[in-house]
Formats: sequence, structure tokens, C-alpha cells
Amino acid sequence: MAFPSLTPTSRQFETGDYPIKTFKSQSGAEVRILYGSQRTNMKLSLSYSNVSDANTELFIDHFDETKGTFSVFDLPSEALAGWGGNSDALDASGSNEWRYEAAPQVASVRPGVSTVTVALVGVF
Amino acid sequence: MAKVYTGRDGVMQLAGVTLAKVSSFSLQSDLETLETTTLSENIRSYSPGILGYSGSANLLYYKDDSNAINTTNLLNKLIKTGTAGVSSSDTVELTLRWVDGADNNDIKLTAYITSATIGASTGEIVSVSISFVGTGALATATIS
Repeated sequence: MAFPSLTPTSRQFETGDYPIKTFKSQSGAEVRILYGSQRTNMKLSLSYSNVSDANTELFIDHFDETKGTFSVFDLPSEALAGWGGNSDALDASGSNEWRYEAAPQVASVRPGVSTVTVALVGVF
Repeated sequence: MAKVYTGRDGVMQLAGVTLAKVSSFSLQSDLETLETTTLSENIRSYSPGILGYSGSANLLYYKDDSNAINTTNLLNKLIKTGTAGVSSSDTVELTLRWVDGADNNDIKLTAYITSATIGASTGEIVSVSISFVGTGALATATIS
């Protein structure tokens, strides 16, 4: 089962950073060592407001299928709907996959209608 | 027969009994809308949410020939002694009516009184203002 092909109502992306370790000497001099060539720890938060409970269940089912935060998966194009730049800009600098950072948050709005928020983290 | 309704046709009842000296009343119905617009769309879209009713009324503070005050059963829902406050039984059955001869156009609802104001001013008639919010579905809505 793939990640639900629904268009989110809001999206927040954090670019992450390159793996860098910083050392400071007693004199105050700083040394930084770059440990990798690719940006990591990208975070993507997707919110799906006022969707049907049936669509809400898709996220819960998918979370179960990926064994929670264990397995990685690809995102459908709908997840980046409305983004006018290159799609890889909201990815890492290279092809990466996503896994759940935490369990989907479900807020029941009214009978049959819920709001789902999904937090993802990019991994290679 | 064609008819334009005026304030003379308005009646407000409490538990089926017409209240005396009502100078105005109003009822508002509000539908909560749930936005379903998604990214990449340019026009907003909505789903219907929760429907609710609220309103207000103004009455002259009036004592009839039997010494009964017309606003007693409205004001005593909020203005009362004791520490119990308002309980779930402190609802009122309100009927808002527009009369056309023998034909009544009614809106009947169960409501909580949410505010009550009474005062006195030099040179003015004492009046009472109340606001109410409906709880549950309308019992009657024969306004068409």
C-alpha cells in the first residue's frame, strides 16, 4: 500500500543540513569537518484538513504497513501539489525516501470528518 | 392574501405562554463551514459543518395585575442566589412567532439564556435584554 494520494491543505518543509561536526579550541578557533556530500534530516509536515474518515483511515493503514517509523516509502506527486519549483528541491540533494517521524495525528472535527497531520523525515 | 409582516405581528412565547411587553426579538442561524481547499487550488471550497442558533430579545420590565413580572422566568436562569450556577435543566422553550390571522409562522427552540441585562436610567423605561443560544435541533420551523 502506497502513501495516500491526497493533496494536502498545508505543507511545511525543513531542508535539513549536511553532516558537519564542529570543534572549538580553547583559543576560540573553530574547525568544521564535513562528513558527507548529501544533505540529511529533511523534514516534511503534511496536513490534510477536513478529510473524510475513510481517507483518514488510509494514513493509519499506511502507518501500520510501514511498521510505524521503521520502513521507508516514496511520496506521491500530490504531496508536492502547488509547489512551483523543481520537485527535487523539496527532497534531499539526490533521490531519497521518507519515513514517519511520528505517528499520524488525527483530530476529529465532526461526524465523518477529521484532520490528519503527518510528520515525515527524509532518509537515504 | 399578500402580506408584509411588521412588529405588530411578532409574538414571543416562553414555554407556550406569550410574554408581555416584548419590544423586539431576533434569531440568527449560523452554519460552521469547514474549508477543504487544498494546495494547488485557487478557489476556496468548503464542507458544511455544525449548524447552530442564537438570538436576543428586549422586553419592558412589566408587572401585570396579578403582580407577576413578565421577565421572571428568563432572568432567573442567570440572576439567582446560590453557588450551583447554571445546570443542564436551566433551559427555556422559546417560540418566535409571526402571526397572520389564524396562521402562525413559528420557530420553536430549546435554549440557554447566555446573558441578561437589566438596569434603570433616569427618564427611561426599565427594559431587560437577553441573549440566548439554542441547544439541539429546532422543534418547529414553520416559517415558509
